[in-house]
Amino acid sequence: MSMAPVPRSSKRQLGLDVLFHALFWASALLVLLILGGLIVLMATGGWKALTTFGLSFFDQSAWNPVKDRYGALAPLLGTVLSTVIALLLAIPLAFGTAFWLTNIASSRLAAIIGTAVQLLAAVPSIIFGMWGFFTIVPLVARYVQPFVNHHFRHVFILGPLLKGPPIGTGVMTSGIVLAVMIAPFITAVMCDVFGAVPPMLRESAYGLGATRWEVMWKIIAPWSRNGMIGAIVLGMGRALGETMAVTFVIGNVTSVGWSLFAPRSTVASLIALQFPESPAGSLRLSSLMALGFTLMLLSCASLVVARCLRGGRQ
Amino acid sequence: MNHGPTTLAEDVADSGEEAALAVKDLNFYYGDHHALHDITMDFPARQVTAMIGPSGCGKSTLLRIFNRMYDLYPGQRATGEVMFDGVNILENTVGLDVLRARIGMVFQKPTPFPMSIYDNIAFGVRLHERLGRAEMDERVQDVLTRVALWNEVRDRLKAPASGLSGGQQQRLCIARSIATRPEVILLDEPTSALDPISTARIEELLDELKEEFTIAIVTHNMQQAARCADRVAFFYMGGLIEVDTADRIFTNPRQKQTQDYITGRFG
Repeated sequence: MSMAPVPRSSKRQLGLDVLFHALFWASALLVLLILGGLIVLMATGGWKALTTFGLSFFDQSAWNPVKDRYGALAPLLGTVLSTVIALLLAIPLAFGTAFWLTNIASSRLAAIIGTAVQLLAAVPSIIFGMWGFFTIVPLVARYVQPFVNHHFRHVFILGPLLKGPPIGTGVMTSGIVLAVMIAPFITAVMCDVFGAVPPMLRESAYGLGATRWEVMWKIIAPWSRNGMIGAIVLGMGRALGETMAVTFVIGNVTSVGWSLFAPRSTVASLIALQFPESPAGSLRLSSLMALGFTLMLLSCASLVVARCLRGGRQ
Repeated sequence: MNHGPTTLAEDVADSGEEAALAVKDLNFYYGDHHALHDITMDFPARQVTAMIGPSGCGKSTLLRIFNRMYDLYPGQRATGEVMFDGVNILENTVGLDVLRARIGMVFQKPTPFPMSIYDNIAFGVRLHERLGRAEMDERVQDVLTRVALWNEVRDRLKAPASGLSGGQQQRLCIARSIATRPEVILLDEPTSALDPISTARIEELLDELKEEFTIAIVTHNMQQAARCADRVAFFYMGGLIEVDTADRIFTNPRQKQTQDYITGRFG
């Protein structure tokens, strides 16, 4: 090409350009590599357990190292139940807090509380574990469980859910602790989502004579729907995989039953507790890996569900 | 700021109408910033009053006082008097939901709600009235017809309003604000985000709407003010410089500042 000669500095820039291009590609590929590596590691590690027990691995409640028989039902149920309880408690709390922060509170008060929410989100989970152990467990044992048991014992369906000695550990307690842990996360993300609502849209609704409540439910909530789902999925991801805080308060018994107040275990807590005592190559270790693999699938599944919910409208 | 009592008396005599909104000694503050100074003017019923002036002159601020939109924001306050149907709407005892149903507002950009075309209209109505299915259908058709949107959307009333074009969305917003049967409609630069054809349609619409509603419109576009307005108010630096019939303002304004502005010497 008959163009003016390219100055040297430009050549150097070209070199830098290629370098950065390669770096960006590499970092993007690294993400895939790590994800693939994790899946392969978990799948191969759990292979022995999955082939030994087959599909019955998922519907067996026994976790018996003495007889070397392992089933995932108990910890899976524990994980799912405590996550569901945590979400049920955390979502309304987070929604209310986020709406108050973005739409009702004065800017000074919102700054103070908003910072507190972010600090709460940054508290390490072990702290929540100890707090749960020393505060929530006794609280549940002394007040909550006797109270609900006394009043709702004979109510249809509720009765079996409330049975059990007042120890204070179980999926209810771990759900409560998880809720306190994930609510600040969900709140922080929802604040951003609500903050992104165009002021003019809010004003249009107020301008028709709508009250705060109506604006929140009928305009801001539907407009922010996708963002709110994102916030909830973030919280759910943390609740599903949370290990330390749960291990402190769930009681760590691999059993299956209706009671929300009996000691249980979750996938993450079971792995954390039994990993050190499982010898390499044993069926027990392989079962733990298979559990880990299942937990990853569970997280992926929740992500897929969230995607579908998002795509549902608009 | 010349708005002596003689001028005012003349204005009212000129218009020969009762005032839908009567503003007297109105001051407005954004925190410490004094944004409007001693505004006194009338908005005659069933006429279009346009507010013009350079950016930041306070014309939008004035508009947002009439439906107490500033109440949403702490630190903003108004003093003085805005009489509407025998009540000073600046009083705290005024019910904001009723006030805003009677004084509707349309914004700079179309703001369709995240719901269907039908529900966009029904939303405001449901806040204030309990209508049966048939009555609501009728109301929706009526207001959409009046903004000349019915034929364009009659087959997709259940479709999301976000699918409409910008001009259609803005007409939907006007339909939405007249669906609560207000007496006054406030328009804050309603065509600033629209193309010329959509703008022309909105302007035609204003001409029809003023048969029934009192209209206050803020505009940056002097041709628009000249085309649509019966009366024009010129604002500068938070003060009302002059208010008069559109003819008078654009052909023979009393104030030199007005003259300078409309001839494009500043602003």
